[in-house]
Amino acid sequence: MKPSPRVLVAAAVCAAALAAPLLLSEAQVSVYVLLLLAACVVTGLSMLMGYAGQVSLGQASFFMVGGYTAALITTHGRPSWLGLAAAPLVAAALAALIGVPLLRLRGHQLAFATLAVQLILLNLVGQQEWTGGDIGLQGVPRLEIAGYEFATDLSYAYLALAALGLIALITRNIVASRPGRGLRALATSEVAAASSGVPVATYKLAVFSLSAGFAGLAGGIYAFYIGYVAPGSFPVLLSFEYVVMVVVGGAGTVYGALAGATVITLLLQLLNNVGTMEGMPAAAPTVLSYAVYGLLLILIVLFMPRGLVPSATGWWERRAARGAPASDEPDAAPVRDLARTSP
Amino acid sequence: MSAVLRIESVSRAFGGVYAVRDVSLTVAEGETRAVIGPNGAGKSTLFNLISGHLVPDAGTVSYGPRGQWRRIDGLPPHARARLGIAIVFQGARLFGGMTALENVMVGAHARTRHGFLAGALRLPGQRREEAEIRADALAALERVGLREWAHRAADVLPLGQQRSLQVARALCARPRLLLLDEPASGLRAAEREALAQLIEGLREEGLTTMLIEHDVAFVARLADRVSVLDLGAHIAEGTPEEIRADEAVLTAYLGEGVS
Repeated sequence: MKPSPRVLVAAAVCAAALAAPLLLSEAQVSVYVLLLLAACVVTGLSMLMGYAGQVSLGQASFFMVGGYTAALITTHGRPSWLGLAAAPLVAAALAALIGVPLLRLRGHQLAFATLAVQLILLNLVGQQEWTGGDIGLQGVPRLEIAGYEFATDLSYAYLALAALGLIALITRNIVASRPGRGLRALATSEVAAASSGVPVATYKLAVFSLSAGFAGLAGGIYAFYIGYVAPGSFPVLLSFEYVVMVVVGGAGTVYGALAGATVITLLLQLLNNVGTMEGMPAAAPTVLSYAVYGLLLILIVLFMPRGLVPSATGWWERRAARGAPASDEPDAAPVRDLARTSP
Repeated sequence: MSAVLRIESVSRAFGGVYAVRDVSLTVAEGETRAVIGPNGAGKSTLFNLISGHLVPDAGTVSYGPRGQWRRIDGLPPHARARLGIAIVFQGARLFGGMTALENVMVGAHARTRHGFLAGALRLPGQRREEAEIRADALAALERVGLREWAHRAADVLPLGQQRSLQVARALCARPRLLLLDEPASGLRAAEREALAQLIEGLREEGLTTMLIEHDVAFVARLADRVSVLDLGAHIAEGTPEEIRADEAVLTAYLGEGVS
């Protein structure tokens, strides 16, 4: 039997992701690790935005909470694997707690509220002694699981890849299941979803919490990889970056999150290289990234409102439909339709 | 016949104007009850008070399938759906970005169980339940004549089919009480006939149905009893024949000189 294009694409993406760290230089591997961690956060945010129809402008705060959780536990002499395991749990629990009042808000009010949460958390963390204030927590030990120490960039690349694989699998499974259908339903009509038995408020809270958990896991890995956490590592701009990645890649698809994270990370790297060239003012990297986010958002919203991946697959399907009109029979693949419509 | 729904002295106002005023009515198990009345009589408001999208200012709504009575006027819509109350809205409230089949599968949400954890882990029980939901949804689509649309996007369906799709979604919930808010409006003659036959079939199966409808012939054919609302008040109740002869109804609803 010929494998479907979906399987081929998935296999190709996996192979490329696995091979990449071996082919890249050391400096490039470090960018790759950060790219993968961003993709972890963006996959959760994409589910929140694409399926539950909620926007969070404070997603970096959950990344930060994960990072600080791992750093605090480990620097207090507890095993590092415990720190990694606690990072997503603490972030998810915090989201569940603040989500109860926050998710009563809608649209841009919710976005502002999540932004406010991040500003408050940044302030708190910057002023507390036990979080190390503005200096943060230094000297986070390397991650050690069952006697294996993650010491090299390469090992973190595969750790981040494993985390992303797990997150993508969980997301895909949920989207194709009963709660996933409920989420997708409430994104278009909360009234009709509730009438079908979907507990709208609970589901929104669950997906908010889940997205925070993904961000927390990425934050935990980040803390072990970089070796310190400080408020300056989790600016508001980082939250914007995640939203831009979701919009560019296409909300509500796992591939979209990957594509968005890749495109934006590479672009930022390029801008950073330009911004730090000799003769550039000190503010150049920040100004450049804000400007390019703005420009990119405008372009995407104008020309590809659904984002890169949905636009590309839509174009591909239209092309395939034109090429083979006879196979356009709706029942041609009855067992695959769920997979076809979900990412 | 035993009752399944009891509404007692229910009122609901919007901005000081009563949409439903002191309405009491009882619906028997297995009955098809039509709710008629001029525009703005409070029919849809009454349905929303039963389905849970509105909370009454005063009065009680009780629901008692198989004699197990409980007050439901404080419950949110999703909890009422779990008790077996399904509603088909007047407008097409479909879930965009999903296929017709997936739309109908959402209908089974109220009576199925597995949650985020089971979904994320794809536990065996979850996969079995998923297959059952799928089979039920296909059967519901078959029943409303949309089987061949199963794998199309729901939002590209023509208006009549969108309405039928909502009915299939409600049926997939296997409701005990089905609320149909003007299901026939905007349908062509053949579609209306198919809908009428479907409602007759549901009555034969013993499903309790409440139906808002303007077409008098449609009501006379399908309804066991008719409730008439006017300006939010329940002004008459009886068989279609009794209602046709009721003076108050004639003046309020059908107008003078109709008999």
